[in-house]
Amino acid sequence: MSSTATVLAAATDTGTGEAVTFWVLGPLAVLAALGMLASKKAVHSALLLALTMLSLAVLYLAQDAPFLGVVQVVVYTGAVMMLFLFVLMLVGVDSADSLVETLRGQRVAAVLGAVGFGALLVFALGDAVVTNEGLDQANSEGNVEGLANLIFARYVFAFEVTSALLITAAIGAMVLAHRERHLPKITQRDLSVQRFRGGQYPAPLPSPGVYARHNAVDTPALLPDGTPADASVSRVLAARGDVRSIPEQASTTAIERAAPRREDDGS
Amino acid sequence: MDGFYGGYALVGLVLLVGVAFVTVAFTANRLLRVTVPGGDKALTYECGVDPVGEGWAQSHVRYYVFTYLYVIFAVDAIYLFPWATVFAAPGFGMTTLVEMFVFIGFLAVGLLYAWRKGVLTWQ
Amino acid sequence: MNAVLLASPEVRGFGADPWWLVLGKAVVIFVFLVLMTLFTILAERRVVARMQHRIGPNRVGPFGLLQSLADGIKLALKEDIIPKAAHKAVFVLAPILSTAPAFMAFAVIPFGPEVSVFGERTHLQLTDLPVAVLYILAVASVGIYGIVLAGWSSGSTYPLLGSLRSTAQLISYEVAMGLSFVGVFLYAGSMSTSEIVAAQGDYWYAVLLFPSFAIYVISMVGETNRAPFDLAEAEGELVGGFHTEYSSLKFALFFLAEYVNMVTVSALATTLFLGGWRAPWPLSLWEGANQDWWPVLWFTAKVLLFLFVFIWLRGTLPRLRYDQFMKLGWKVLIPVAIGWLLMVATVRALNTEYDFDARQVLIYGGIAAAVLIGLTFVWDFVAARSRNAEPPEVTAEWDPMAGGHPVPPLPGQQRPQLTVAGTTAGSTTQTEDHP
Repeated sequence: MSSTATVLAAATDTGTGEAVTFWVLGPLAVLAALGMLASKKAVHSALLLALTMLSLAVLYLAQDAPFLGVVQVVVYTGAVMMLFLFVLMLVGVDSADSLVETLRGQRVAAVLGAVGFGALLVFALGDAVVTNEGLDQANSEGNVEGLANLIFARYVFAFEVTSALLITAAIGAMVLAHRERHLPKITQRDLSVQRFRGGQYPAPLPSPGVYARHNAVDTPALLPDGTPADASVSRVLAARGDVRSIPEQASTTAIERAAPRREDDGS
Repeated sequence: MDGFYGGYALVGLVLLVGVAFVTVAFTANRLLRVTVPGGDKALTYECGVDPVGEGWAQSHVRYYVFTYLYVIFAVDAIYLFPWATVFAAPGFGMTTLVEMFVFIGFLAVGLLYAWRKGVLTWQ
Repeated sequence: MNAVLLASPEVRGFGADPWWLVLGKAVVIFVFLVLMTLFTILAERRVVARMQHRIGPNRVGPFGLLQSLADGIKLALKEDIIPKAAHKAVFVLAPILSTAPAFMAFAVIPFGPEVSVFGERTHLQLTDLPVAVLYILAVASVGIYGIVLAGWSSGSTYPLLGSLRSTAQLISYEVAMGLSFVGVFLYAGSMSTSEIVAAQGDYWYAVLLFPSFAIYVISMVGETNRAPFDLAEAEGELVGGFHTEYSSLKFALFFLAEYVNMVTVSALATTLFLGGWRAPWPLSLWEGANQDWWPVLWFTAKVLLFLFVFIWLRGTLPRLRYDQFMKLGWKVLIPVAIGWLLMVATVRALNTEYDFDARQVLIYGGIAAAVLIGLTFVWDFVAARSRNAEPPEVTAEWDPMAGGHPVPPLPGQQRPQLTVAGTTAGSTTQTEDHP
């Protein structure tokens, strides 16, 4: 009985350092999480999410769970966040949320998931409070060793299933993202042959800005008669409608173009 | 400062010294550097020609695939490390070895599949 | 009770230092790293110059020793430019985020054994954690953010592409690096750096686990963005990579981070594979070599050895192409690392269960692996030979002005033999009278 009491006392005893850590990082994590939900830009959301995860990691360390804390940084802040960042680069850094739902029943599923997760949390926390084995007992052989004991002896099945789950998800991502090549790759050599055999204009195209006032890639070169050479501007820019016409470029400097367009002063 | 919580507090101390270092450096830099604003120097660098459009460029989806593989191996490493640490302890040994063979076997099959499909080839 | 249990097996002798000693150690780590950076930059320039039959910087200070200091000060006094298109807060945050983790990793590196400082017995190591090596990996993965955010926030295409490449490179090689640690943990039975050094009393793991060591050394070069793996700043393709838009102190911080990272991975290699602060073999016969302050010298010498290898590689090898680089990472290093760690584990399990000598098996296995790797090179060489052997068949006449433009001979066409006065057609040797 007395040992239980000691363990209880030890478990409820909070050191000053731990309290300070908690009261600094706890609110920080919550605020960052709320900010993540509220911010319009995907970049800011990602950064705030990283901040939340880092705060959580430090809180784990403060709770005598060093392995979990470091794993939180390696896996979540390191790997999973990096995955998010790459997705953001894929869709565009400045892209804002679109509020169109593509999955039917998404909200219902989300609510169900949240309720289920909440129930799990309540039961897990309740279990920890009631049975109260205590960290000291769990860490008695060392934090890493204790965890290894559990993973490789008691929860072996879950451990093996994790690996199957991981690789399934990865193969799913690969199937979606990978384009299989059925035709041989067109090499530089093939392209070169094509250019000469095709009987079209085989020499390099004129560069943009030649004989024009500016040398930006969106400014077509001028032919000797003063007409713009359309071939000198990239097809992509032309398709985007980014090509500058001749009268417009006469009086702008680069810095003016970077700024919002002003009235033409006609000089 | 006892127990391993103290150990992490020391890591925090290095971070604090780092913050002090950066603050001093930035302040000194702010005080000492020349500042001549204006001109075209605040423009995005484009090898001497004027920049057109925005800085964002569509990145290829294969970066995503490789990052996904990284996530898998990061999780994998997280299991491998404690396994390696307790491996020689009595009561582990052969049993955990077989467990880990199965675990890595799953991953290896996935990796081999990706390899055969040509996902691992950067083209 | 709490304190007794928590302080038990993991952190013997750490965290008990007086505050001035702790602060002193933290400051010494910073000073050590900054000095190493200044020295490495100078050494790099001098050594590469020697390899290229030049002299290198020799004007500032005795033997040019103050050159990198002068350069650093000059760099920090430059005008700081933040591009219009940049996202300002993140743009300033990125270099800090890249530098701070580089320093933090050094907190768990052991410089030496227990020594006496002003009457206090203390370890020459700021702190040790039960998960020290994993902590270094974690800190490194935070450092990657600096690069990603730098690319992002610059609002420019070159930095964005550079940071993408750089990140994909770092994460690919971090996998191989993590896998190469497993062998060490299997033998040391711990992830704490001081215990790993203590476990290398008889054999260094570089000998016992040579393939792990080789994989680590290759991936550490990849992790630090150094030649031949410096694709992130391939200046012919990407200008300066992720730090194209940076100037003044912020650029200097990226520079500092790169060199501190080099020192950190070298120190980690020393700790995990070269016995840490332990004296090398002939010296270790002398009893006092592993006591007092001597080990700091051995440790620094080993780190400098790795730094020299970095410089040597840069002076010798050309940059890899990106696809070759990823192929090396995912198709060579990772499979080899997995295979090797399973082999080590099997041998180790047999060793503990059936009690036979594992060392020989590992050493022979290592030799076999080395031979196998050598064979793949030979195979590659032979395959390349046979690919290049077949000349194209001549099928058509060459029309030098096809379509009204001068064109070179296409595949299947042959250049006719031309004769110029004084030389013979197609001859590659120069004659005396026609220089």
